[in-house]
Amino acid sequence: MSKQLPSWTRPLACALFFVLPALAQNTGLPSTKNGDWPYYTADLKGTRYSPLDQIDAANFSKLEVAWRFKTDNLGPRPEYKLEGTPLVVKGVLYTTGGTRRSVVALDAKTGEQLWVYQFREGKRAAIAPRQLSGRGVSYWTDGKGDDRIVFVTTGYRLIELNAKTGTPIPGFGKDGMVDLKVGMTTGTGKQIDLENGEAGLHSTPLVVKDVVIVGSSFKEGMTVVTHDNTKGLVRAYDAHNGKLLWTFNTIPRPGEFGNETWENGSWATNGNTGVWTQMTVDEELGLVYLPVESPTSDFYGGERPGDNLFGESLVCVDLKTGKRKWHFQIVHHPIWDYDLSSAPILADIIVDGKAIKAVALPSKEAFLYVFDRVTGKPVWPIEERPVPQSDVPGEKTAATQPFPTKPPRYARNFIDVPDDLIDFTPEMRAQAKDNIARYKTGPMFLPPVVGDPKGFLGAMQLGNASGGTNWPGAGYDPETHTVYAQANQSAVSPISLRKPPEGFSDIHYVLGRNDTEFRVSEGPGFGSAADAPQPARRPAPAAAASAAPARPAAPAGALTVQGLSIVKPPYAVISAINLDRGDIQWQVPYGETPDAVRNNAALKGMNIPNTGQPGSVGLVVTKTLVVLGDSQMTSVQHPRAAMLRAYDKATGKEVGAVPMPAPQSGSPMTYSVDGKQYIVVAVSGGAYSGEYIAYKLPEQE
Amino acid sequence: MTAAAVLIALSALVVFQEQKTSTVWDGVYTAEQAKRGAAFYASNCASCHGLELNGGESAPPLTGGEFLSNWSGLTLSDLFDRIRVSMPADRPGTLTREQTANLVAHILNVGQFPAGTAELSTRTENLKQIRIEAVKK
Repeated sequence: MSKQLPSWTRPLACALFFVLPALAQNTGLPSTKNGDWPYYTADLKGTRYSPLDQIDAANFSKLEVAWRFKTDNLGPRPEYKLEGTPLVVKGVLYTTGGTRRSVVALDAKTGEQLWVYQFREGKRAAIAPRQLSGRGVSYWTDGKGDDRIVFVTTGYRLIELNAKTGTPIPGFGKDGMVDLKVGMTTGTGKQIDLENGEAGLHSTPLVVKDVVIVGSSFKEGMTVVTHDNTKGLVRAYDAHNGKLLWTFNTIPRPGEFGNETWENGSWATNGNTGVWTQMTVDEELGLVYLPVESPTSDFYGGERPGDNLFGESLVCVDLKTGKRKWHFQIVHHPIWDYDLSSAPILADIIVDGKAIKAVALPSKEAFLYVFDRVTGKPVWPIEERPVPQSDVPGEKTAATQPFPTKPPRYARNFIDVPDDLIDFTPEMRAQAKDNIARYKTGPMFLPPVVGDPKGFLGAMQLGNASGGTNWPGAGYDPETHTVYAQANQSAVSPISLRKPPEGFSDIHYVLGRNDTEFRVSEGPGFGSAADAPQPARRPAPAAAASAAPARPAAPAGALTVQGLSIVKPPYAVISAINLDRGDIQWQVPYGETPDAVRNNAALKGMNIPNTGQPGSVGLVVTKTLVVLGDSQMTSVQHPRAAMLRAYDKATGKEVGAVPMPAPQSGSPMTYSVDGKQYIVVAVSGGAYSGEYIAYKLPEQE
Repeated sequence: MTAAAVLIALSALVVFQEQKTSTVWDGVYTAEQAKRGAAFYASNCASCHGLELNGGESAPPLTGGEFLSNWSGLTLSDLFDRIRVSMPADRPGTLTREQTANLVAHILNVGQFPAGTAELSTRTENLKQIRIEAVKK
């Protein structure tokens, strides 16, 4: 690490100190009203909304690249999954990038690098459960010139940097950092190992007033090595000095509310249940909203009978004390990987003439759950309805699950056979019915099964890991009380359980099928952090090498039909959901028909309306537009490009598009400097390594 | 260097310069090479990308529409270099050029691009001449 800048950079840092105030165009606290983008989600309410209006329907397609920032050299090798959304405060852009998750400050007008900070964590980062370059940084200011950048390293350390120089704040924690692994436990309170213990985070801390709130996350929970994994926590620290202010146990301890929902004392022998996505806060009410993920493990809960609070619950806690105010469990006894994935959105709405301070939660289930954010009472009734029950040995599913009555689901959340199956031609529909017959199908909350090559290969799911609205979350227009959400509705994922191989785990079932080779599911980007190689975690699957056919035959129960998804389009949708009425105002396919569909030989001569494209992406809402980019390259409007598209907020009509050199991989944001509006988006994928691209209108028409 | 060697070297250069641009539909690898690639793939790549190249939580698919949308229009040298520079994720830079070429052959084979009689080259300048085309033109 660099406790202070190397000597040769000191003159530069001094120069910057004098230059930066000159870049400042506004006074007072940063705000989207001043053209800043001071939080990952634009503001503390999770809206992703900016009132800027210079870029509009009439000129969007004229946008041109203002600058690019390639992240390759922020780590020892390029990264191909750049997920950050930068902040801009007073003309300076701050974000993370690269396989070492470095922090950079750039001149927001030109992209010129002002400073870079990196911390070399070695093995601790290389084995971290969340290894990508992260979602970005947070900003704290005392309003009097003490401005700081707050972020979490790959190895789970909370660091504060001087926003002007990029140097760690000496008075924060120890030498500018707080070791977040301290206090993380397994079992009934065993401290995890600070080097090897499993805990991390790639979302940005929630900074409100003088408090920094951080969540926790772990490896993917599909093939866990133990059910007694590290326990999730949410903690608040003093922004001035890093002192721990409060801890909220997302797995309640004995005597704490909800402990009895872990039957047979199973709170003591289970983990996870962290908060890995963005949190939001109502500053005036002093309430924090925590979207909690699944307990161990994602698809089997036999080791944790009961509802398992606060697994997959929205929890409201007091900002000052961390004490629970209310909670709502979205999924009881979670076994579908329906982690609460998105930042809760704070919305002041008017329902039947009554003003309600609401919180709206987008979800992988493609339901928007809406509550009174003071009381936790659902704005529209959420009904407990009976759901299918599990027949996996040891598993005890909840008898009922919550179903919102309003708004309606905004994307498909289960496969209705045969209506949801591909229907370009009768032959394709017939093939799809044949294929899907190999799986157990049914309504939402169909439990996983023990897959059997002679019976059901798995229980068919839609959603879970990559359906509905995922980590990029949704956006909200506070003027029209409308939520805008992109949702994937073609994430077909049959779930099969199997017994883990001898000696692999103490859990009774993991993801997989007994007749196929056992495969450990790692998280996105696992193994890609700086300072790899990894220590061997398991024997290499060498046995399969000789058995592998050079060209695998289409497996029985294929999830594609002639190279096309087994479900019919649209593959993903964008929806506008009015929160005063609780209805869907408009819904359009997301993006453009993929080339693989457009060029499919079986569809030759057919007129196929826009199918949209699969994927989970985030968006930015401006005065008049909803802006989001494609997740696939196409060659329709532009040769070999993923398009960044603008949709009319009122109608959903596409009103403009400009090419990006690679798919959108991080959510866009917008800001203004010296009277000029910019849109910045992170792109990467395929051959293209991570890059931030800034667009603006041409100087002259 | 003998005069004969110079002559051979020169003629090799001429052959190289005259090499026409081709596409992945022109039989640019051999079945035997793809088989070697398949065996290497199973023990070094399948744990993340899947035995059937259909991707997973931690890695994208290496076959099908999404994969081709990223690569169609580029050359095999781009794909070769992506593997060479960044794969396997936990020990990048450890594959030989021959192993990398075999993997590319395996990916082409699974993607149902036809095999041919000559092995895929390990040389960047040759791979640059072979375009990836999702659809046969």
